Amino acid sequence: MDAKDAEDPDALAEFFERALDRIAGGYPRAFAEAADEHALRAENARFAGPSGELTRWMKRMPELPAERRRELGKRANELKQRLQQALSERIEGLQRAAREAELSGPHLDVSLPGRGQPIGRLHPLSQTRNELLRVFSAMGFDVADGPEVELHEYNFDRLGFPPDHPATDMQDTFFVDVAAGDANAGGAGVGAGDDGRASVLLRTHTSTVQIREMLRRKPPLAVVSAGATFRRDDDATHSPMFMQLEGFMVDEGVSFSQLKGVLTAFLRRIFGSDLPVRFRPSYFPFVEPGGEVDMGCTICRSYQGHDGSSCRVCKGSGWIEILGCGMVHPVVFEAVGYDPERYTGFAFGVGVDRITMLRHGISHVGLLYGNDPRFLEQF
Amino acid sequence: MRASHRWLEELVGAELDPGEVAVRLTGAGIEVEDQQSVGEGLEGVVVAEVRGRRPHPAREKLQLVTVFDGAGESEVVCGASNVPEAGGRVLLAQLGAKLPGGFEIAERKLGGVVSRGMICSEVELGIGADEGGIVVLGDDVQAAPGTKVAEALGLYDVIYELGLTPNRPDCLGHVGLARELCALLGHDFRWPALQPVPALLAPGELLPQEQALFSLGLEAQASVQGGAHGFAPVRVEIDEPERCPRYGAALVADVTVAPSPFWIRQRLFALGMRPINNVVDATNLILLGFGHPIHAFDYDRVQGSQIRVRLAAEGECMTTLDGEERRLRGDDLLICDGERPVALAGVMGGENSEIGDETRRVLIECAYFDPRSIRRTAKRLGMHSESSHRFERGVDPGAVPRVLSASAALIASLAGGSVVEQGLDMHPRPQSPRRVQLRSERLERLLGTKIDTPEAKRRLEALGCSVSVEGEGPAQQLAVEVPSHRPDLGLEVDLIEEVARLGGYDAIPTELPSIRPSEAGTSESIRFVERLRDAAAAAGLSEAINYSFLSDRELSDAAAPAASVRLRNPLSEERSVMRTSLLPGLLSNLGRAQRQQVQRFAQFELGRVFVGSVEEAGQRLPAERHELGVLLWGARDAWFAEGEVADFYDAKAVIEAIVRRVAGLPIDTVLDSELEAERALHPRRRARIQVGGAAVGVLGELHPGVVEAFELGGRPIYARIEVPALAAQLSASGPARARELPRFPAATRDLAVVVDEAAAAGEVGAALREAAGELAESVVLFDMYRGDQVPDGKKSLAFHVTYRDAAATLTDKKVDKVHAKVMQAAEKRFGASVRR
Repeated sequence: MDAKDAEDPDALAEFFERALDRIAGGYPRAFAEAADEHALRAENARFAGPSGELTRWMKRMPELPAERRRELGKRANELKQRLQQALSERIEGLQRAAREAELSGPHLDVSLPGRGQPIGRLHPLSQTRNELLRVFSAMGFDVADGPEVELHEYNFDRLGFPPDHPATDMQDTFFVDVAAGDANAGGAGVGAGDDGRASVLLRTHTSTVQIREMLRRKPPLAVVSAGATFRRDDDATHSPMFMQLEGFMVDEGVSFSQLKGVLTAFLRRIFGSDLPVRFRPSYFPFVEPGGEVDMGCTICRSYQGHDGSSCRVCKGSGWIEILGCGMVHPVVFEAVGYDPERYTGFAFGVGVDRITMLRHGISHVGLLYGNDPRFLEQF
Repeated sequence: MRASHRWLEELVGAELDPGEVAVRLTGAGIEVEDQQSVGEGLEGVVVAEVRGRRPHPAREKLQLVTVFDGAGESEVVCGASNVPEAGGRVLLAQLGAKLPGGFEIAERKLGGVVSRGMICSEVELGIGADEGGIVVLGDDVQAAPGTKVAEALGLYDVIYELGLTPNRPDCLGHVGLARELCALLGHDFRWPALQPVPALLAPGELLPQEQALFSLGLEAQASVQGGAHGFAPVRVEIDEPERCPRYGAALVADVTVAPSPFWIRQRLFALGMRPINNVVDATNLILLGFGHPIHAFDYDRVQGSQIRVRLAAEGECMTTLDGEERRLRGDDLLICDGERPVALAGVMGGENSEIGDETRRVLIECAYFDPRSIRRTAKRLGMHSESSHRFERGVDPGAVPRVLSASAALIASLAGGSVVEQGLDMHPRPQSPRRVQLRSERLERLLGTKIDTPEAKRRLEALGCSVSVEGEGPAQQLAVEVPSHRPDLGLEVDLIEEVARLGGYDAIPTELPSIRPSEAGTSESIRFVERLRDAAAAAGLSEAINYSFLSDRELSDAAAPAASVRLRNPLSEERSVMRTSLLPGLLSNLGRAQRQQVQRFAQFELGRVFVGSVEEAGQRLPAERHELGVLLWGARDAWFAEGEVADFYDAKAVIEAIVRRVAGLPIDTVLDSELEAERALHPRRRARIQVGGAAVGVLGELHPGVVEAFELGGRPIYARIEVPALAAQLSASGPARARELPRFPAATRDLAVVVDEAAAAGEVGAALREAAGELAESVVLFDMYRGDQVPDGKKSLAFHVTYRDAAATLTDKKVDKVHAKVMQAAEKRFGASVRR
């Protein structure tokens, strides 16, 4: 007999009671058998949803006989609460099981490659140069710049290179002709001075920037400059184009011991605080006293107690020549209009290529300018 | 230059430790680059006496020689033709000896006879250049059979390889090096004693009395009269006193030209010179000893008994000792006899007056020539000789009489003969000694450390300076007279270096200075270039650094502007002009990468190009401008995205990323008429890059012609940014301005428009945006579709349009109303059918 057909309140109460029993007996199994939350909620709706069995019966409570209404209403409400509680417990259980399943499932194939992100990088020469400039900038040096194609005057004359002097042999020079104005005019050029001497060249060192900056500014000056330089050399250790870094400081009272202090600090900041550094006399026309700096060989590291006797880089000596330096020559100050009695200064130059090769263990300078992607991607 | 340790010991007059010599010289600026021990490794080679010899039974050219090595006799097969008779002494490599080059002596059968050792030549032992036969010891070697060869011949030595700087000509000889070592080690320096001369000619009529004469000061073992030798008086004329400020000459008669004794040949050989004959060897020994080149003429071939120092006539020719005919210019200095040039002054002698086997009388020249003049000639003719190397650095003009005396004595003692007692010394331009003041206060201030005045004086005196102390206290100074062998010392700072050098730079303390910061700091243009470089790397590109020079052909292959800077003396045609574009370098890199089967290429270069010119200091320099070049080719770097290659839009994204990072500005890519000039790019696949409405570069696929010229595969994409143009946009816009973040939600609607294939998506998007008015926050293309449901010749473009009101939450009603307007506008403007 169907409840909707029950007109009689007593019969209805009977049906109501039976329905409560049926629901109370049915939901635990139905809930337990629901495989997931979706099915569970569907089961719950079958009992307690807007058109669920319990809901439907509860809507008919007013029709119940007054004497049983209270009792049956209480039972119905209790059942509803039990259903609700069972539902939320079961949901929790299901979620817990789902999480457990999620966490105990198969492993990801972590060996598959990562999705490609192109990795850009600066050329190892740029990385090294930046590192060197950073050290000097932190000490208070400004960074300056100068042209690659230079006047003979700035590359040699004002730096105190005597004309027809063997000192220029140390820097075998490329001379150039510069065509007038229009780029399409080609080579018919200017480039020789009145005496027929070639007067425009590819700078052989960045010391040109010394002259340009000293002409442009007044002391105190502390400047570094890095860039391409050119000499007519081409072998395993010489590239016809190479990167040099030049620095100089001019002020009242600048001394050789300060030159030693700055360069020692520079090398140790780059290569490590235990690096041995030694200074010995040498000759460059634009400094006096002039010197060269050797540092402990960072390839064999014999100064850290390693065996360096067969080191090919330092030839077992434990020392590597790394810097040229000296006190700015008075003729240079005179060439830029500074009073050499009042001002003194030091200057130094270092091969960025050489430091790059030492830092990364690069054996052949040609690799630096070959731009092979397989090489560049190593840095 | 090479230097012999033993020779230095002789000159210093003390035993020296080679390791210490190397350290001290290097520490004083005379770099010892290498040192080689001589005489070691010949332990199994001994002096042996020939006891007998007989023909080989089977081989005509071989002999069987019985030798006594001090312990016993053995028979050795020998192929040399100069095996001495019994009693002669030879050098025997005993069984087990190892010769230079690794050859080990063992019993060998030669033509059926067992040879128990080997009789050696100079070349086989690595002790000389004589290949003429085995070494036969002469009377000058006193050594009993069994004596080790190195001991018997005095071979033990250390040869230093020195890297001398051009300011130190005084160290281009052993005497100068010895002087330096004495100063460093605290010994007293003494000039070497002269060789006693076998015979001396009284001058008689042999030299013209009116010319400057001096006594050679030689100690004679015999004396003869001059007249009997029939000399015509030698006469020297100097037409060019500026170029030849001093010229000395001496005469040696009755010489016998022959090979030098072993010790001389060996010494020259060890120092890298080829022994020739006793007279020539003597001149070379003087050169290596005093560092002063001298020249020996066969006096009988000097025409007219006359020497004249003059400039060459333009186009005049002479044949130098090396057999080369030299065409001269009016700037070249010549030594001539009465008729013709006999030497290219200071560079090389002439063939016509060369010392030969028949030479009987020798005219010795010892001069001082102007360094610049010698250098110009040597450099122009490409004749770098031991002589020019020294003259162009500056020999000691004060040493002429001393060197001349030593030369005459050495030649006479080696080749016999008689020296004319007096020498000629023409000195038309005597130089007075240089005097330089050294202020004690300046010394301390420049070095940053105090060196006591007496110590400074001692160091300078050790170098040959005459020094006196003047003044007291802060005004104290040293008055220094510089010796003529140090042309490099002319200023106070030069003396400061000498004082510092002798004490060693390591003795100067280190100090960190306070560096005063400048107001301007590093310029913005330099910092911008570095930011751009970082941004390009951050966008996924690898930086390339190519040579700034390349070939005309590479420029024209890359359709770049013709070069305007041309090297006069390039190393090769491949590197003969300065680049006008970064493209050829990047393309060459790509070509090499493709040949190496590299799959993906994404490089940039940020460097200078040389186009046009500027005036500076009255001269023309090229305009140097920074450019950024980007070249993409090959596989996209994506997961398993096989077959996907980078195209125009990848490059556009890269440029966009770079520009946004450095300037915070968006880019536009547009077509303009000036793109016609970009001949390197595909005419249908290229665009102008604009930032803030200004052109800053170009972007596009490479022209197929360029791809072909560089033998490339695929479709590389190139982008170029002109750095100054981009920097100008940045400085115009200033740093990016912050916008307030929206407080109200946005509403997004999509729409797709079907438009003609030729319509530009950018223009469609811009039109939509315009129609949407202020409420549109963004219009973003998210799909482009051709195919089903889209007619031929059309494409469907789908956009997200995002609406937002900054002041209120938008209602659907309001958004729908605006969006409807947008759709209408699209239909009207493009005749488009709009799909929702």
